[in-house]
Formats: sequence, structure tokens, C-alpha cells
Amino acid sequence: MDNEIILDFKHITKTFPGVVALDDDSFQIRRGEIHGICGENGAGKSTLMKILSGVYPYGTYEGSVIYDGEELRLGQSSIHAAVEKGIAIVYQELTLVPTRTVGENVFLGKEPVEYNLINWNKLYADTQAILDKYQLDVDPRAIVSNLGVGKMQMVEIAKALSENAQILILDEPTSALSKAEVEKLMEILRGLKEHGITCIYISHRLEEFFQITDRVTVMRDGKIITTQPIEKVTQNDLVRYMVGREMKERFPEGNRHPGEVVFEVEGLEAADPNNSARKVLNGVSFDVRKGEILGIAGLMGSGRTELVLTLFGEYGRITQGTIRLEGREIEPKSARQAIDTGLSLVPEDRKRMGLVLIQSILRNISLPNLDQFSKFFRINANEEMQASLHQAKSLTIKAASLDVQALTLSGGNQQKVVISKWLLSKPTVLIMDDPTRGIDVGAKFEIYKLMNDLAEQGVAIIMISSELEEVLGMSDRVMVMCRGHSTATLPVAEASQERVMALATGVAVA
Amino acid sequence: MTISTVEVKTKTSLGGRILLSLRRNIQTYTLLIAVVVIWAIFYFLTGGSYLDPQNISNLFRQMTVTSFLSLGMVLVIVTGGIDLSVGKLAGFVSVVCAYLQYFVWYKYIPNQPLLAAALSVVCGLLVGIAAGALQGYLIAFQGLPAFIVTLGGMWLFNGLILWRTAGKTIAAHQEYFSFIGQGYVPSIWGWVIFGVIVVFLVWNVFGSRRGKQKYGFPLRPLYLDLLGAAVPIVLILAYILSVNSYKGIPFPVLLLAAVAMVMLYVSNNTRFGRYAYAIGGNREAARLSGINITSVIFRVFILMGALCGVAGIVLASYVGYGTIAAGQGYELDAIAACILGGTSPLGGVGTIPGALIGALIIGSLTTGLQMMNVAPAWQYVVKAVILVVAVLIDIYFKKNR
Repeated sequence: MDNEIILDFKHITKTFPGVVALDDDSFQIRRGEIHGICGENGAGKSTLMKILSGVYPYGTYEGSVIYDGEELRLGQSSIHAAVEKGIAIVYQELTLVPTRTVGENVFLGKEPVEYNLINWNKLYADTQAILDKYQLDVDPRAIVSNLGVGKMQMVEIAKALSENAQILILDEPTSALSKAEVEKLMEILRGLKEHGITCIYISHRLEEFFQITDRVTVMRDGKIITTQPIEKVTQNDLVRYMVGREMKERFPEGNRHPGEVVFEVEGLEAADPNNSARKVLNGVSFDVRKGEILGIAGLMGSGRTELVLTLFGEYGRITQGTIRLEGREIEPKSARQAIDTGLSLVPEDRKRMGLVLIQSILRNISLPNLDQFSKFFRINANEEMQASLHQAKSLTIKAASLDVQALTLSGGNQQKVVISKWLLSKPTVLIMDDPTRGIDVGAKFEIYKLMNDLAEQGVAIIMISSELEEVLGMSDRVMVMCRGHSTATLPVAEASQERVMALATGVAVA
Repeated sequence: MTISTVEVKTKTSLGGRILLSLRRNIQTYTLLIAVVVIWAIFYFLTGGSYLDPQNISNLFRQMTVTSFLSLGMVLVIVTGGIDLSVGKLAGFVSVVCAYLQYFVWYKYIPNQPLLAAALSVVCGLLVGIAAGALQGYLIAFQGLPAFIVTLGGMWLFNGLILWRTAGKTIAAHQEYFSFIGQGYVPSIWGWVIFGVIVVFLVWNVFGSRRGKQKYGFPLRPLYLDLLGAAVPIVLILAYILSVNSYKGIPFPVLLLAAVAMVMLYVSNNTRFGRYAYAIGGNREAARLSGINITSVIFRVFILMGALCGVAGIVLASYVGYGTIAAGQGYELDAIAACILGGTSPLGGVGTIPGALIGALIIGSLTTGLQMMNVAPAWQYVVKAVILVVAVLIDIYFKKNR
């Protein structure tokens, strides 16, 4: 037995209906190292970590994970099992109870008790001991919501370590941190390494791997591409590993002829509506032509979704910049206004933002368009049915009738319902935020064809996508976003995957 | 990986179609069956007197006040809210009406009972609407939780009732005004109303068929459509036969039927109604579909206030007094009626007929238990068990569908 290897992944395969999330993955993590994992959105990083943390229990995947010389068999019942074995995870979204103290959070669910009462002195003393051991500078009695994000992360780490974790998984720990906080985190991680704790470090910010990790593993499309000592690779190598694949015949041939510019955004800046000090958009400029598909590429957190919601009048407070539709300056203040001026938005998360799942297909399609069918107070149900049916048929939504509840449909059909609802309002500019996320290949192809048809009919389409391939396969031009601003807009012929990825990760500037 | 897509063809047989429409309305039918079962049990327990025309007449009349409240409550709960103030608001309106009837009108417009009654109705409605608008403003525009605002409203209106009555009962059994809650429609008019309903329902069948034809939609066989209209006609016929052998249709029941028709139309056939359901079903999706959530919720509470006004007017007239206990606990009866009628406490789901049948179930239980001289303590226990068990059964069937 090799005592140097703490974790050994052997031929891990994990499938979901219609998707292979992990494809025969094998690699090893050494005791006491900081091991980086990188890959595009959807490459399989999170799925792999969910196997390790017990979210997907033993038996729901193929292959085996050898942990400390023994096969890891996490039960169906409890996610806590992984923690007890010494595997702790710090998620991208923090999971603290904001209204309670640091100490209460660290010992949540495992409070020291005496005669069934919590021993508060012990709880705070133990918290202090953990914080001291790993040089985490937080007051155990502070209320979590009063702490900054950086300190919250320290609490999260302390919580993970309070059960004698051997392996600490950090899933994009720096996405919400300032530069100084990132430095501090790096210091803490180096300290953990001295205590012999193994770290798995997942990030989109490639430069961080060079600051902190010993080795790095690159994933792509559910496969492990390579594992390398960090000193043997460059950032450009990593980018190449992340995207290096050939374009397949996945995109239908379009016959698009972009016309004049219909939609222009110039120097757009916007603040978080809940925290006006935080800028979510930091100088975004682009234009879209009639009959053109403009792709927007960018990693998660780059401000893509915030951008489209702001354009739709439903998110950021615009602090600077102009938006022009067909030459006229517009200031969308609500979705209604945006719709009336000729914008449509197919939102990112169809279940949360696109559909009323408990309602019928008919009601979903007609919802934003009821004005068209209404006279005085009355909705003309026949006109509503006729128009919705026409739209549903032209998109070949597969269902027994339009009275079927949206929640019973497949992902692809649900997305077609969302698109139908937005086409019925006859938009000049159609914004699609990740329109093919989570739907199968066949339905994807149909949606691509539909986009081509719409563009040929003169609709200007703005498409955001997490899949680089999709952006390059479908767009006429590509705008790349990185940390709230548009770094470049390239004609698709000049946009290679490497170049876009370099722009999106901030490795290169235009 | 291969994904096969199967197109489901709609070539359902006639029986299949009847089954489908049955299944779609399964909740309403189960509720009606529940009513029949409850009536049958009480029929045997009371030796038949439960279904006497007089009792049927009283049963429906007694349920009207909470029914008005539950009609508005459906939309409040559907949008994801709650209104705890409706009982006390209706009570306050009833006290206002009684106060105006007894102390005010005779001073300024003596000997004009019809005008006085009309003015009382208008004032009662205005008080309800104003109260609804105030609460709606705080909830929709200021973003306060409906639970808190309407709990405050409940206390406020209770205080106003105590202040206005000063602990005394105020008589409100003047001519004309009394008719609203106590009057009966003469049996000849009962038959005229029945005739109008039959003509309307049949005309509606042909009208909707003509509309569908114009748009080229497939038509169901005519007899199926007529059968659909025949069910309510038979039920109404049975009801009118029964009450006409007593004193005729109680006027408040007629009023309730008319208001319920309006609410049914509003909830299904207007943008406002559709938006209310969409907001309750998925607020975020509704917002991104361009729905002005603030405005819809504000209007829902105004409508609720107006219905509290109607309920309060009927209450004052029916009881014949404005009292300090007016409307006590009605809000919970109204909420229970909605939930029994299939309204989801989570929002997005609920129907007007369901709420009415829910109110009918509660009313049937109350009168039945009273007729059997069950002690009030046990009346509450029985109602508690039935409410919780009914919802339990409902959840069980939903899980196993």
C-alpha cells in the first residue's frame, strides 16, 4: 500500500439521464498536498466532489474511491458520513446561519452538552482553540452576518476542520473575495498544509493554482485530461487542456445575413440592487445587428446573467451608460417596459424564472402576452388558444395537449415552452441566457435550428452560453466578459476557444 | 447517447375524454361526494329532519357570510398571502351599518327606509374597500408581511367595534335593510330566476361551440356539452324545489350566487385573475413575464376588502344587530373553507367553486352538530378532526397520483 496516496479515484463513471457527467475518471491525490482542479463550467468538477462528499452515495456511480487504503462507501442516508470520515467541503455558497455566532456555527449540530444543556463556555473555548490552531483571525462570539465574506469563509473552514478533517475541499473559494482576502486565504491554506491537511482546490482563476497548488488536474467533458505538477505547466497549457477538443457536427448550418444595428449598449455600469457599493457591471459595450446572433461568453460570476437582467429592467441599478434600441435610447425599469419596447428574455433558470411549473403549457405561453388577447376585462380564450397552439406547433412541443402541466415535460420541451412564450410577444431583440442548459442533444439541435430561423426572419439574438463550443458554433460575433466588463468582441472567425478562454479567465486582454 | 422523442397523439376515445375531464376536476367531485356523505350521515342521525326544506334553507343562508369572505380569501391565498382581519373587518362593517341605520339616517333622511338602506350598503362597501386598500398598500407597496399587517388589522377593527358599540348591541332590523339578510325571493320569482339560469347555461353552451367553430377547434359531441350544463341545472332545480316548499330562495343566497359568478369570471377570464395565479405559482417567473406584482396584490386586497363589506352588510341585516362579537372567528372559517376546497396554502392553486363547497362542508357540519345537540366542546373537536383528516387524505392522493 502506498502511504503517499490518500485518495485514489479508480474508473469513476457517473451518468444522469441523457448525460454522462463523469467518464471513466482515474487520478490520485497525495497526502498533504494542495491539489488544484480546473475545467470549464460543466466539466464534471462538482459532480466529482459530490461523490467525495456523499451527496451521490456509494452505488449511484461506477468505479471506486480508495480513501486511506480503504474503499469509500458512503451511505444513502447521511451526508454527514463523509465528514465523520474526515472529508470536509467548503461550498462556493456559504452555508452558515447568519444570525448566530461564529462558535454556534462551528459546532452546529454537534454542540458540547452537559445534562442535555449546551455548555457554552466549552463551545466558545473549543472554537477559539480551533481558530488559534489554524491562525484564523475571527472572534468566536461575533454574529456571522456582521462579518465580511472573507471572515465568513474562515468560519466555514473552521467548521469543516472542527471534526478533524483530513481532506478539505474548497469549491471556488475566491469567487466572492477581494484581493487582500484571497491573499489571506492562501496564507491559511499554506498553514493547513503544515498541519498535514490535504486540500482539493477548485477554481476558475488559473493564476491561483500557480500561487498555491502542488499539482493540478484538468477536467473536460467529464473526463480527466491530465494531472501535472504545477511547475511543469503554464497558464496557456491549462487553457489548452480545458478547451482542446475538435468541433463536432453539432450545429446546424445557418444562412444568416446580419443587417443594420438594432440594439446598442455603451459603457454600461450597474450596481447590485441589494448592495449599491458592489458593482456588478463595470463597463459593458456591444451592439447587435438585425438577423445576427451575438454570443456572450464568460465564466460563472463574470456578470453575464446580471447584464441581461439589467437590460431587462429587473436587476441592477444602472449608474452609467446608455442602451439604444433601433436608435432610440431606452431605460428599462421593469420587465413590462422591456417587453413593450421589443425585448424578450429567455432566462437562465427555466424552472425558477421561466415557468410557472404547476400551470398548463397554455397558461405559461400566454402569460406575458395576455394583453394581445384581451378586450376590456375579458380574455378571449379562443384567440389565446389559437395563438399559443400555433406557436407550440411551430416549435414542435411534444405533449398530449396544451392543458398538460409544465412540470411534467422534459427539459427540452420546457425550454421550448419558455421560448414559445417569448416569441409570441414578437421581439425585436431576443435575449437567451444559457438556452440549452440541461437539455439533451436532440433538443439542443432543434433549439439551434430555431435560433437560425429566427435570425433569418430578422430577429436580433443575444445568446449567453456556458459552453464555449456552443458560443463559437452558433454566433456571428462573440463578446467575452470577465469580472463585470466586456473584454472584447470578436468576429467568430477570429475567436478560437483558446483565445476566448484566455480572455474570459483574464489571462489575456484584447 | 441516444434520445428518442415520442410524440403523443391525441386521439382519445369518448369515454377517455369523459374520464379526463373527470380527473381534471377530481378535487371538486371528491368535495361534492364529501358533502353528500356528510348530509347522508346527518340525515340518518337526525331521523330525516336534516334535509327538511326549512333546514336546507337555513343551512345555505347561514353559510353566506363566511362564503363571501372565502371568495376573496381564495385569491389572497392563491397569491401567497393571508388575511386574518376579514372576520373583524366584516364585523366592523356590520357595526357601521347598524350604527348608521339606528343613529344617523333617521335624523337626516327620516321616513325614507329604502334610501337609508341603500346608503348603508354604499357606506358599508366603502368602509370595506378603504380598509382593504390600506392593508393592501402596506403589504404590496411597503412589502410588509401580510400575516403581520392583517393581524394588526384584526386588532384595529376589533378596537373600532368596541369603540363604536361601546359594549351595547345596536339594532339594525329596519325595513328594506333587513331584507338583504333575512328576505326571501317569492317562489314565482324563484322560477323566473331558474328559467334565466337555464337559458343562460344553454345559450352559453351554444355560444362557446360557435366560438370554437369560428377558430376551427374540434368540438365535443353536443350531448356531452349539454350534459355538462345539465348537472348544475339539476342541482339548482333540486335546491329551488326544496326552498320553494318553505319560503323561497333566501335573498343572501341569491346575492352569494351572483357574487360567486362574478368572482369565478374574474379568476378565470381576466388578466388580473390569471396574474394572481401566476404570482402564487412562481413569483420570479411572473415578474420576468412583465407582471406588476405590486399592483396585482394591492388589487387583491381591495377586492378582499369589498367582499368584507358585502359580508358585513349581510351580517348586520341577517343578525339584525351590530354587536361586539360580530365576525368573531370568521376569518378562520373562511381560511378553513378555502383549504378544504383545495386551495394550496403555498399559493398558486385554488378555485372559487372549491372554496364555496368548503364553506358548505363547514356549514353542514355546524348545523348538523347543532341539530343533534352536540355540546359545543365536541363540535369543535369533530370539526378539527374533519379539517385535518380531509387535508391529510388530499395530500395522500396527491402523492400517489
